[in-house]
Amino acid sequence: MLTKELLSYILDIGEQMLVSGAEVNRVEDSISRICKAYDAKRVDVFTITSSIVVSIHLKSGNNLTQTRRILKYSTDFDKLDRLNNLSYHVCAHTPEAEYIRNEIEKIGTTRMYGPVVQYLVYGMIAGSFTIFYGGDLNDVAVSAVIGMILKLAITFIQRVDKNVFFVNILCSFVVGMLGFLLVRIGIGHSFDKIAIGNIMLLIPGLALTNSIRDIISGDTIAGLLRLSEAILVALSISFGFGLVSVFVGGMFK
Amino acid sequence: MIHTYQIITAFMGSLGFSILFNIKGRKIGYAALGGMLAWVIYLLGGFWLSGEMMQYFVSAIIVTFYSEICARIEKTPATTFLTAAIIPLVPGRALYYTMSYAIDGKFGEFAEYGSYTVSIAVAIAAGIMVASSLARVFFALRSYEYRHHLM
Repeated sequence: MLTKELLSYILDIGEQMLVSGAEVNRVEDSISRICKAYDAKRVDVFTITSSIVVSIHLKSGNNLTQTRRILKYSTDFDKLDRLNNLSYHVCAHTPEAEYIRNEIEKIGTTRMYGPVVQYLVYGMIAGSFTIFYGGDLNDVAVSAVIGMILKLAITFIQRVDKNVFFVNILCSFVVGMLGFLLVRIGIGHSFDKIAIGNIMLLIPGLALTNSIRDIISGDTIAGLLRLSEAILVALSISFGFGLVSVFVGGMFK
Repeated sequence: MIHTYQIITAFMGSLGFSILFNIKGRKIGYAALGGMLAWVIYLLGGFWLSGEMMQYFVSAIIVTFYSEICARIEKTPATTFLTAAIIPLVPGRALYYTMSYAIDGKFGEFAEYGSYTVSIAVAIAAGIMVASSLARVFFALRSYEYRHHLM
């Protein structure tokens, strides 16, 4: 039997899926399947990147409607995988509300990789792409160090303000400034390769792939929202670099 | 030689992003190999395809298929593999040059590189679109429900 409480847990599953990086189609599909499994007569789900609305008609003649506003995203595919399994399980066994709540809590406590690993990975990605685009050994070293500092900057800036554009402008400014200084001192050789390696860390790859996948599944609104967000992020990265050129007076070589 | 380095670093780049996206266990391996596959296909494409955009397009198609297959094996959403594997194709370099020309005020080069960047993004998007649509039909045909429904 679908109660208000149960519907709110079902929405929790949907919300968490969207936040951890699922396509809109998957979220809508999971929510409506689960509601159908609990004997709803009709389910209307509408999801865009920032909100979920669910309205269900029960066999008893009652209607239930709940909404969620999604404010921030944090990509976590492990969580998405678990939520996906949970939603299949719920569809198949229609457990009590209590069970779903416990499972969601359990999923919420799963761990990310530790901070040391994260810093090393930032360095590795920046270094890798510097080689990828043809940098030499000095460039790789500089790029990897800047990558790690970038991670530090992101953590720090996000404490002040979580706005994506603000974070990206400041981060690319940090990258540009450090890169320029290290090249000027003579440790790094080519500024462009170092910058490109670090830009790969900031580029909105997930937003782009998900927006395309949303558009194919027919969720044009959500897809276009994500696409414009990706474009704005790309723009804010270039604003950050523009800011660097103001400080260093002219141009990167 | 640069190509060998590129293939290795494409693997490492995708591996790094799989860790950042918190992919766990065996799936990391699949995602990182996908990134390597993307660049290998891109380079191989250079031998018989007419242009760079076609290379991006074909590579995106194959990587999307690869992700859909991995998703079926591991029973997890395809986005998991696709997002990490598509990374080496993302036009970071083109984006950088576009923006540095814009900052320098060299508008000729800016327009040229800008349209180049957008074309790469569109080629990748088109590849993902084509492959996802095909995969959707293919896996629907294979599924039990569909056949059952036909009978």
